[in-house]
Amino acid sequence: MWQYEKKLQYPVKIKEPNPALAKIIVSQLGGPDGELGAALRYLSQRYSAPTREVQAIMNDIGTEELSHMEIIGTILYQLTRNLSIKEIKESGFDVYFVDHTTAIYPIAASGVPFTASYFQSKGDPITDLHEDLAAEQKARTTYDNILRLADDPDVRDPIKFLREREIVHYQRFGEALRKTQDLLDSKNFYAFNPSFDK
Amino acid sequence: MAILSDKEKLMLKIQSCSFAMKEAELFLDTHPTCAEAIEYYKKHREMNEQYIKAYAEKYGVITMDQQSSDKKWNWVETPFPWERSVD
Repeated sequence: MWQYEKKLQYPVKIKEPNPALAKIIVSQLGGPDGELGAALRYLSQRYSAPTREVQAIMNDIGTEELSHMEIIGTILYQLTRNLSIKEIKESGFDVYFVDHTTAIYPIAASGVPFTASYFQSKGDPITDLHEDLAAEQKARTTYDNILRLADDPDVRDPIKFLREREIVHYQRFGEALRKTQDLLDSKNFYAFNPSFDK
Repeated sequence: MAILSDKEKLMLKIQSCSFAMKEAELFLDTHPTCAEAIEYYKKHREMNEQYIKAYAEKYGVITMDQQSSDKKWNWVETPFPWERSVD
């Protein structure tokens, strides 16, 4: 279970609204490599993780991803406050506005709504952990691309924090993979699935 | 750099301590016998507890279980964190 804390993991205080930027950053909420997919991936995979340590890393990184969803939601909320209809039309935000006004809704920047097909929960820890390592790198690349597109330091600052977290998570998942492989047959890691075969 | 209010400064201390704890938690998940990391975790937990208590007394609750009033549900008195603090 979880307990909510009324604070952000990292502060977000954006002075200037920028709906065009919100249209891009929404991808890290509901896009293919976004925070919602990350949270659901690890929190789904954790049940079939082979050891307490691997269960813990999936549980605790999955939990941190929920707080990253909240940071992205807050960035989107603050980027779309007090907009005029003129600003909405000229920024291209009108295509989002027509369905969601200025509410927060998980879609990719292309407009495709969030789907569970962005992640897998395979029941084989070697498979799941490789997906997790790739997922962290894909999210890091997306944050790199956001940093190429965003000029506002108020936005760049929390985005840089989130980018760094992807790198730390990659490191921890790498350690979880190594620990998993240590339990297996060193001549053939795929000889059996420690989460299914007895 | 924006000038921070006392309230924001205290929140930043809480966020810094909580982050140090989170980082130590993940490290300890894969290095559970690292005494140095356990010590680091405990040090930041202690500081965090003090800051959170001070914040609740001065500015309002961060978690529901900090409820202190007998008359009013304190949880609904403090802003949710997406509201940009302008005070």
